[in-house]
Amino acid sequence: MPRYYLAWAKDERIREKGANGGFVTATLVSALETGFIDAALVVEKKSVYEGIPVLTSNPEVVKECAGSLHGAPINLTKYVVDYGAKKRIGLPTKPCDARGIIEQAKRRQVNLDNIVMIGLNCGGTLHPLRMREMAADFFGFDPDAVVKEEIKEGKICLVSKEEGMGEKEKWVKIDALEQKGYGRRDACKSCVTKIPTSADLACGNWGSNDTQKTFVEVLTEKGEAILKNAIESGYVEIEEAPGEGIEKRKQIEAGMQRLAEDWKERMDEVSALSRSERLEFYVDALKNCIGCGACKEVCPVCACEAGAKCLDMNDARDSYVVSMYNMLRIFHLMDSCIGCGECEDVCPVDIPLTLIHRRFSERMQRHLGYTPGMDVKERPPLYETELRWSAEE
Amino acid sequence: MKVISSICPGCSIGCGLYLLESEEGEGKRIKILHRKNSAVNEGKLCEFGTHLHVYYGREALNNTADGREVEQNDAIEEAKKRLYGMKPEELAFIALPGTVTNEEILSFASLASEFRCENISFGFERFFREIPEEASYIIERGLPFSEVEKASRIILFFVDPFVHYPLLARRILKAKKKGAKVVEVAFAKNERGIADETVLVEPTAVAGIKEKKEIFENSLIIGELTPYTNLQFLELMMWLNASTASRLFLLKPFLNVTGAFLFGCGYFSKRKKDLFEIIDGIEREEIRALYLLETDLAGAMLGGEEVTKTISKLDLLIEQNAYRTVLSDTATITLRSEPFFMKKGTIVNIEGRVLELGGESEKGLQVMENMGKGRSYEEVHEEVKKRLGLPTLNEFVIAIKREERSFDMAEPKIESEIEGAEGEGYFLWYKTNPFFWCGVRNKNFVEISPAALRKLGLFRGDEVEIVQGERREKMGFKISELPPNLILAESKLSIKPFKGLLTGVEMRRADIKNKKIEKFL
Ligand SMILES: Cc1cc2nc3c(=O)[nH]c(=O)nc-3n(C[C@H](O)[C@H](O)[C@H](O)COP(=O)(O)OP(=O)(O)OC[C@H]3O[C@@H](n4cnc5c(N)ncnc54)[C@H](O)[C@@H]3O)c2cc1C
Ligand code: SF4
Repeated sequence: MPRYYLAWAKDERIREKGANGGFVTATLVSALETGFIDAALVVEKKSVYEGIPVLTSNPEVVKECAGSLHGAPINLTKYVVDYGAKKRIGLPTKPCDARGIIEQAKRRQVNLDNIVMIGLNCGGTLHPLRMREMAADFFGFDPDAVVKEEIKEGKICLVSKEEGMGEKEKWVKIDALEQKGYGRRDACKSCVTKIPTSADLACGNWGSNDTQKTFVEVLTEKGEAILKNAIESGYVEIEEAPGEGIEKRKQIEAGMQRLAEDWKERMDEVSALSRSERLEFYVDALKNCIGCGACKEVCPVCACEAGAKCLDMNDARDSYVVSMYNMLRIFHLMDSCIGCGECEDVCPVDIPLTLIHRRFSERMQRHLGYTPGMDVKERPPLYETELRWSAEE
Repeated sequence: MKVISSICPGCSIGCGLYLLESEEGEGKRIKILHRKNSAVNEGKLCEFGTHLHVYYGREALNNTADGREVEQNDAIEEAKKRLYGMKPEELAFIALPGTVTNEEILSFASLASEFRCENISFGFERFFREIPEEASYIIERGLPFSEVEKASRIILFFVDPFVHYPLLARRILKAKKKGAKVVEVAFAKNERGIADETVLVEPTAVAGIKEKKEIFENSLIIGELTPYTNLQFLELMMWLNASTASRLFLLKPFLNVTGAFLFGCGYFSKRKKDLFEIIDGIEREEIRALYLLETDLAGAMLGGEEVTKTISKLDLLIEQNAYRTVLSDTATITLRSEPFFMKKGTIVNIEGRVLELGGESEKGLQVMENMGKGRSYEEVHEEVKKRLGLPTLNEFVIAIKREERSFDMAEPKIESEIEGAEGEGYFLWYKTNPFFWCGVRNKNFVEISPAALRKLGLFRGDEVEIVQGERREKMGFKISELPPNLILAESKLSIKPFKGLLTGVEMRRADIKNKKIEKFL
């Protein structure tokens, strides 16, 4: 079977509702209908600014969830761990979802045999509240009146429907937004994994000239099987992807990666500091930690439970300015952090955790020659996890 | 997997979140999902909010009458009959507004009047008696956090935002980033160094701050008001506010305290009996029946054991709650309502946002309506909306605004003496926080100064014993940069403060060594 396709949902309603022809939705629906999976984990739209994960066996719910929500920066990994244990599930995965799930599989928290990851290319997500501010400040819209959002070719479009005013549509260049501090989350701006190659399929609009055809790359046997299942059960149609589409997708990916590297440099407030200023930067940021534990709770690669070292070795009675909890988390994640920024999103005192973790993990991962979340066969190099591996072998 | 849009009941900030409820074996499992689109908190939660599943995992209360399990309707009928059997002046109704909706507050207030009961308290009534009416808005209404972020000068008046109201801290940090100057007026310097300037106050010389009035000019003063706040302390804050060009923002511990001020205990309630007066009334056996709505009275108050003893003097205790409390075994009738996240209804947060809960249960309200007026949820909810003047609700709108008014306030007299702190004594200062008010001890230690450590000859692993008359408490300790004679406690101890949240105590080295520190979580 070739590797690259253009694919779309046969059902017109799914095609209309889907982001790029509803291939992902139709594939999940067919997998549910044919018993290929027991449940699908999808993202339900609450509003343009909000999506919530839904685990369902009902194909109608999956159909309702078609479409891409760029203002819903949720990582689905922990939901797979918590709710997918005894089920065969299929789910759409952005690169950071797929990477998180792979890391959890290495830590024996999920069984990859039971999971089908329908990967979504990802240019990034926006924080919902920043998106509301953007709607008001940049687009001149009442944020509550925005009914639709779309991202295409480096531009973001908002459609607003105010009472008695009809529909208004406006496109703004993402780069222009980001120069002014709006736009994607910092973690997304600096993320270089744009195509989820560790998933079973990778889907997106890059490489497709037709807004109703999804460009699909088949990455694993499981991916091939679910695609075949969708075609054979009559939910999906495909055609081979044209060579120029494949080339264009590669070029866009490389361009996005260059931009991400660029952003990393632009957002790096630390490198230019002197040694003592750097220390001051870390202490200043981390001293505000209130020990809520939210960063660990949402971390897609952390599989430690109540007896975790970062909790166990931390004693709230210690008078350290930077807690052992933070120190241990930094060290513990150096080989495994995937830079998704979930920790920073939920931090109640706004510690720039994405930047802090990146400063340590990027160097360490380069040194170890290890990129977390990309290959389930590659073991996390730091010793404690290895002990666990060898203990179970 | 059911996803419920919810609000954290931990404090008056009212952080938005989702609760994921799933079946697991016999029971239900709850998981927190950070709601990044929440106007209040952007998905961020403090330690309490992050561990809400623990709070919601407590043992449920059953419907009982005289210790026997009964059907809810029978329990309601029994409660109604017994309440009618009492004289109005023998009755009291208490609801600390942590997990009660606006609709329930209205229903509770109308139920009390159904029994012609005047003794209804939401925890704050006494404060209104001593302040001018024009100043009452300061107690009744808070401020949007955008005002904190915009302030150019912030005074933290005996408030450690990281501990007392963690989700306020980031707003102050944002103001600082924009150039605001932060001054703290406190007994001890904030260990995180949030303030640019610290004005240290001696526990016995709080009045001295009056001499430094000029530091309050052109500032936003952030203070705290709890049922325990010393009245003189409140007057001091108000006087500093009235006599300088400043604004005063009082944080409060209970989620729907603003709703309670609007519908249950605002300035209009100033002649009503206060929480402590009701408890005194029970102690003197003048009050003989008490209806507790969603209030773990012994857990929320300092000196819970004494409260429990006092409550046992009642002839009739009706407890309506989702969970069992220390008093449940003492209660004559218990009425089960649903946990907060399952409720339908609205609350008003400290910023003045009217927020809707995502649950479906009307049970708590129906218990009261079945005893009282018999209205439906919709009728009560419509009344709430009418009284708020809001046809529709939007979390992104500050619906309950406040207008700054000038008022005259006489210079308050501050009595400095603090009982029991003469000579070699220490001062114990309670730093309140969401755990504090729900009776959970999440920190098993107190903070002491290096000087105290040396004086008592303490080593790591030792414990200290804090003594106040007959009361004593053994605790671990942490060394913080505090004045020599100050002790800070974030958890409730058996030590009861004499005034406000500060009290004189003695401290010595306890004779238990290397006791394992228990962790709450
Ligand atoms: C945040 C985001 C950014 C993207 N950026 C790019 C890009 O830059 N380039 C590119 O080629 N493609 C990108 N995609 C993928 C693209 O938008 C389409 O999802 C993809 O082409 C599949 O289209 P479809 O019609 O087959 O999917 P659909 O049938 O519409 O199915 C999409 C599925 O994704 C789920 N979903 C929606 N929002 C999210 C979310 N935030 N997180 C996880 N799952 C979600 C939905 O529940 C649904 O199941 C992005 C997708 C997302 C969600
Ligand atoms: S306790 Fe207060 S600050 Fe903490 S999460 Fe709950 S509402 Fe927010």
